[in-house]
Amino acid sequence: MADVLSVGVNLEAFAQAISAIQALRSSVSRVFDCLKDGMRNKETLEGREKAFIAHFQDNLHSVNRDLNELERLSNLVGKPSENHPLHNSGLLSLDPVQDKTPLYSQLLQAYKWSNKLQYHAGLASGLLNQQSLKRSANQMGVSAKRRPKAQPTTLVLPPQYVDDVISRIDRMFPEMSIHLSRPNGTSAMLLVTLGKVLKVIVVMRSLFIDRTIVKGYNENVYTEDGKLDIWSKSNYQVFQKVTDHATTALLHYQLPQMPDVVVRSFMVGRSLSFVLEETNLRVHEHIQQRLSCSSAEAPKYSGLKNVDPSRGRLGGSVGEASDFGSGHDLAVRGFEPHVGLCADSLAPASDSVSPSLSAPPPLTLCLPLSQK
Amino acid sequence: MGVTCVSQMPVAEGKSVQQTVELLTRKLEMLGAEKQGTFCVDCETYHTAASTLGSQGQAGKLMYVMHNSEYPLSCFALFENGPCLIADTNFDVLMVKLKGFFQSAKASKIETRGTRYQYCDFLVKVGTVTMGPSARGISVEVEYGPCVVASDCWNLLLEFLQSFLGSHTPGAPAVFGNRHDAVYGPADTMAQYMELFNKIRKQQQVPVAGIR
Repeated sequence: MADVLSVGVNLEAFAQAISAIQALRSSVSRVFDCLKDGMRNKETLEGREKAFIAHFQDNLHSVNRDLNELERLSNLVGKPSENHPLHNSGLLSLDPVQDKTPLYSQLLQAYKWSNKLQYHAGLASGLLNQQSLKRSANQMGVSAKRRPKAQPTTLVLPPQYVDDVISRIDRMFPEMSIHLSRPNGTSAMLLVTLGKVLKVIVVMRSLFIDRTIVKGYNENVYTEDGKLDIWSKSNYQVFQKVTDHATTALLHYQLPQMPDVVVRSFMVGRSLSFVLEETNLRVHEHIQQRLSCSSAEAPKYSGLKNVDPSRGRLGGSVGEASDFGSGHDLAVRGFEPHVGLCADSLAPASDSVSPSLSAPPPLTLCLPLSQK
Repeated sequence: MGVTCVSQMPVAEGKSVQQTVELLTRKLEMLGAEKQGTFCVDCETYHTAASTLGSQGQAGKLMYVMHNSEYPLSCFALFENGPCLIADTNFDVLMVKLKGFFQSAKASKIETRGTRYQYCDFLVKVGTVTMGPSARGISVEVEYGPCVVASDCWNLLLEFLQSFLGSHTPGAPAVFGNRHDAVYGPADTMAQYMELFNKIRKQQQVPVAGIR
């Protein structure tokens, strides 16, 4: 804020103008006080009138003086720079056809809404954590020791923190490699490569995952300019389905206070053999049903608890409902990659507040990667 | 390029090559595959010229120069168990210049032509193998796009092959056994085609229906 304003604004004059306003206000209130008090007691009527008029005039003069002072200072303050107040998005406000395409105002509203939502979610989870519905009291004590400090809850996180979290996750699995880049501003874009099976592009907003796209290992993830292509879908239907599931997974994990736990759980769910088996299972069903699986088989996220550890594969078919105990229905239909989708489903998460908002123990769900 | 399996479909009893191909394509269409044009894979054989052979009298090696319509700008040159070279189409012109070292074997051109079908992420190509004017057999190629490691998706490919080839489903190709976790490439597909063509060349001519 300061760097934008100081281009044209004299901060000294600004401060002085504010105090001039206060002086003006007090002199105006003195005028009204004088009127309210009326004439003071003197010997003659003339004396009283004269004293009153003199007093009144003094007050009016001081008002005049203060007003002139304020006008002088306001001329010195100057206008704040109006060049690109919000960088590129500010250019949208110059649209002449504002009523037909109110993009800018909608953009601002969406931004304010998501910030408020973030704030409320933080408050709600704080309140809920106080009333824990867990059976064993021991867990709270242990996890309180493990969590060294409160995680930052705001959307604005230093990029270094995000880098650290990502590099920590990168070292978790040997077959998974994460490459972080920031081509569009401060939001990170990860290119996760899982062995020789697939590549995932994860678009993040500070530490929250916004969208994912899953593509095959041999598919091109870059556009013609060499930038990461975050919009085009995979050419293969298998990976389109996996993208749907990944999107469901990222909508499933909602933890306003511990976003890095969320990211870690998401990555655990993408472990190699898990994905392979899931992929093959999906294709198997494809063949069985001959393309009849469309919107009728909306992906529901079977929680990781369903995984059979002896075989490392999903112990359930596509239609099994989530048993993670979340309070919202995740049968999202018709995925198209746009931000609105994420925003839509964040709303129920804050409405149907359930005890499951408290942290699940994701680290205990690490799958045995060596098994297939 | 996904993992590909090339196999031969034996001609049905009492039917001609043409009719068997038709049967197969009808099965595919009933399965729900979409026709997507034609394909062609051809192969020419060259052997090393006598003048380049050493005094030990070693047998000349055979070199196969192949083209695949799936990669229209490429030309594949491979030895029997040796390396495979992937070059651009100017390689054919180069072979003319190398007449001194490599001589074309007589009547060696063998090719397979047919239709290309797309079914979900599978690409199926059913073609008639011809040598000169005569049809010698049927080639079936199935490619599973999303996967590039052979060992991961062989079971899936097998299942798919069984669904329309039935009892004529082949075993795992030799190229799969060699490299377990290596990325599958077009050179492996061409090696499979080369083996298929060699097998068909050794077979007897397919008898015309009704005459033995």
